[in-house]
Amino acid sequence: MEINYVGEHLWIGEIGNLFIILSFVASLFATISFFQATRQKDDSWEKLGILGFRVHSFAALTIIGLLFVMLANNYFEYHWVWSHSSSTMPMRYLLSAFWEGQEGSFLLWTFWHVVIGNILIYTAKNWRRSVMTVVSSVQLFLASMILGVFIIDFKLGSNPFTQLLRDHPDFANLPMFANPNYLESLDGRGLNPLLQNYWMTIHPPITFLGYSLTIVPFSYAIAALWQKDYQGWFKPGLPWAYFGVAVFGTGIIMGGAWAYEALSFGGFWAWDPVENASLVPWLTLVGGAHLMMIFKNKGSSLLAAFVLIILSFILVLYSTFLTRSGVLGETSVHAFTDLGMSGQLLIYLLFYLFLAIGLIAWRYKDMPKSKSEDELWSREFWMFVGALILMIASFQIAFTTSIPVINKVFGTNMAPPADPVDHYNSWQLPFAVLTLIVMGFAIFLKYKQNQFVPFFKRIVGPLIAALIITIGVGAALKMQNPYYLMMLFASTFTVAGNLNYISSILNGRIKKAGASISHVGFGILMLGALISMSSNQIISSNTSGVDVTQLGEDFKNNENILLLEGDTLPMGKYFVTYKGREKEGIYVRFKVEYLSKSEAGYKPEFLLKPFVQLNDRMGNVPEPDTKHFLKEDVYTHITYATLETPNQEKEGYKDLKTEEMGVGDTAYASNAILVLDNIFRGTGGKDLQLAESDIAITARIRVFDFNTKEHFLQPTFVLKDSSFVMPVEAEKEDLGLKVSFDKINTETGKISLKIQESNASKRDFVIMKAVVFPYINLLWIGAILTVIGILFSVYTRIKKG
Amino acid sequence: MKKGHIILIILIAVAIGAIVGSISDSSTYANFDEAFSNQDREFHVVGTLNRDKPTKYKPEENADLFRFFMLDNNGVEREVFLQKAKPQDFERSEQIVLIGKAKNDVFVAREILMKCPSKYDDGSPEQTTSNASL
Repeated sequence: MEINYVGEHLWIGEIGNLFIILSFVASLFATISFFQATRQKDDSWEKLGILGFRVHSFAALTIIGLLFVMLANNYFEYHWVWSHSSSTMPMRYLLSAFWEGQEGSFLLWTFWHVVIGNILIYTAKNWRRSVMTVVSSVQLFLASMILGVFIIDFKLGSNPFTQLLRDHPDFANLPMFANPNYLESLDGRGLNPLLQNYWMTIHPPITFLGYSLTIVPFSYAIAALWQKDYQGWFKPGLPWAYFGVAVFGTGIIMGGAWAYEALSFGGFWAWDPVENASLVPWLTLVGGAHLMMIFKNKGSSLLAAFVLIILSFILVLYSTFLTRSGVLGETSVHAFTDLGMSGQLLIYLLFYLFLAIGLIAWRYKDMPKSKSEDELWSREFWMFVGALILMIASFQIAFTTSIPVINKVFGTNMAPPADPVDHYNSWQLPFAVLTLIVMGFAIFLKYKQNQFVPFFKRIVGPLIAALIITIGVGAALKMQNPYYLMMLFASTFTVAGNLNYISSILNGRIKKAGASISHVGFGILMLGALISMSSNQIISSNTSGVDVTQLGEDFKNNENILLLEGDTLPMGKYFVTYKGREKEGIYVRFKVEYLSKSEAGYKPEFLLKPFVQLNDRMGNVPEPDTKHFLKEDVYTHITYATLETPNQEKEGYKDLKTEEMGVGDTAYASNAILVLDNIFRGTGGKDLQLAESDIAITARIRVFDFNTKEHFLQPTFVLKDSSFVMPVEAEKEDLGLKVSFDKINTETGKISLKIQESNASKRDFVIMKAVVFPYINLLWIGAILTVIGILFSVYTRIKKG
Repeated sequence: MKKGHIILIILIAVAIGAIVGSISDSSTYANFDEAFSNQDREFHVVGTLNRDKPTKYKPEENADLFRFFMLDNNGVEREVFLQKAKPQDFERSEQIVLIGKAKNDVFVAREILMKCPSKYDDGSPEQTTSNASL
């Protein structure tokens, strides 16, 4: 039966599909044309290539434009719109919704390549043909990722213009599609609330620009190998490589800031596989860019420069593969699931990997090699050493992160390190120390030969300064770990060395100071990372003074703390009160107030509102809140809270439990801890008008509330005429607690105590974690300075060239 | 010997060190039987929550202790003591990975990873379009 559906916007999908094919075909055309232009050194082929790339660019931009129109107008007949948007989604999340799915991220990637490719068409001059061959071929692969056609059984790409009704068999048989007017009542699934966050708007485009920028030095390197032109490629490639270092680095540090501000990592870096996957290509890019500089100034290290630059691009593909293939599934909290395109990604990765290996092997004999060996005391030697350390460091991260891949390939059953943070830190710390020390002194060396004594005289100052600072800061922070002290020394040495270089050698000529500024920044960044992570203080440890280690040392209550509404607990130098919750849409905010105590009493210092986002799709997501001070941050995170509305009933008592206790045993109520002190004959001073034959037994129970105040409860058990039992309960009204005897076990000497709680005492509570991160601002300041330094040197280099 | 060669040798040595180090740091996936016959050795155990038995979390006693029963992939059930606050939405988890050691007859987990219904899962549209299917 044919149904004539009403209100569908099928034209837009038809146009979209047309442009998807056009973008694919045009990039194929451009690749072939540029390839022919390079081989035949032919201008007309080159013109065709440029035309092809322009058409591809136009098609890609049109696809993106159409998708935005669909998204903004809620065309839910399209599966892609239905999956990532809903009619209630605020417009400010339009961008987030666009790149939530894989199709959108691949288009974002395509977009940046289009921008970069068009700039290269203008600037690459005689490198245009060969470089654009490489860029166009990558675009061909990216275009195929959204093609969405089946070749026999293999699905090539995932198309964003598929219709819920016609292209998705799982959906087509749903009863709602019997209604020709189904669109009237259909709403989208909506953007995952986890991603309804401003970080999600700014983080992906910058990270993807960083990813995309690795294509430029890569293309120049491939072109140089292909064309046997080893002298000309680094000059235009170098500013691109450093620009890539700056943008990619910004993306990574933003990821860290996002994790710190909005995720529950409890820090800015958790060595999560997804973070690692971006860090690895960045490290090789930094190494590669420095090696290009050596080759430019000294003519050596060409092979190593090729290897690292090519690796950066391939590792970006690898990183995409890792995060999107689902292979990390069991090891990472935020890996994506497979959309069935990991095979395709793997093919592209292997294609470029083998292409690069083949080209290097083919050209190895031709490559110019430096005749003389590098001098020990020369800048190029130590820059080379620094780049190699970065390479080894990235190798170590890549290896451990790849354990799930190794398991797949070799059929092994290794699990990632049980304590990843410790594992990576213990490996990466020595690498960081070595790199920072090289960064501190290599700048004082000139290229080629140097006299050791004058060089040494220059670095004596920074060495002494770093030593003094290390001793001072180390003592102030009570830093005892020798590795941390080494790191403290190394990072202050980098800062001192480069500052000294700017002031003494450059005489403050700021034009040449880009590199030194970024090195100063990097030193400060590492200093901030070291101090905030090594000296952070979990202030939410158990302060109730009650021993909760009865389950053994393993269960010391040392990170999370229970905070009842209205109670005030000391945490670090603060006193903390939980002031209840507010519900606003899908957000439940918990008001946690920090107070200071003086003789005049408590004074409110600041209020934090960590929240839990009620999220049907992803589960409820907690988000911390952080108070920023110049010298430290107070991070507050809700680790657990009951999310149902707390009990409204305030009257009466209800049974909590009956516990058998001997002298010295402990029992727990919701807001107090009970310890049985002793059991004695008598009424404990109560006038119960007992007859002489009556036997009275009283228990003395010590009660601690969570303000660690001590109270006493003395329930009595009366045996009347040796047969009739009359328990006399003891009540503590302000705690909402009632205790009475239930039974006496004459054999064990234990007693059964019935504990009752008033309904009003079921107060609202949160389990929270609070951490003070000292000097974390150094990290952000250092990062900003690093990026400014690099951008500045890129700018001066472009201006000069 | 040239400096280049020395550097190369150091490079290879450190690279091998990194591989060996990573492998020796790496933990092992195991089921409960293996973990309980090697007490006090750390393992990764994959399994699912036993929903038939109650979970216990009493923050007033210890905010860093959460107890539940897990079935490993062979269907063996053990009680787990997790040294953390109860994870939000624990009951929704589809799969659990525990990192920890067996101690006597309980599995003491230091770390937990949960797989919840995926963010990119294609749920049926009925969940969100209840109006439409009426």
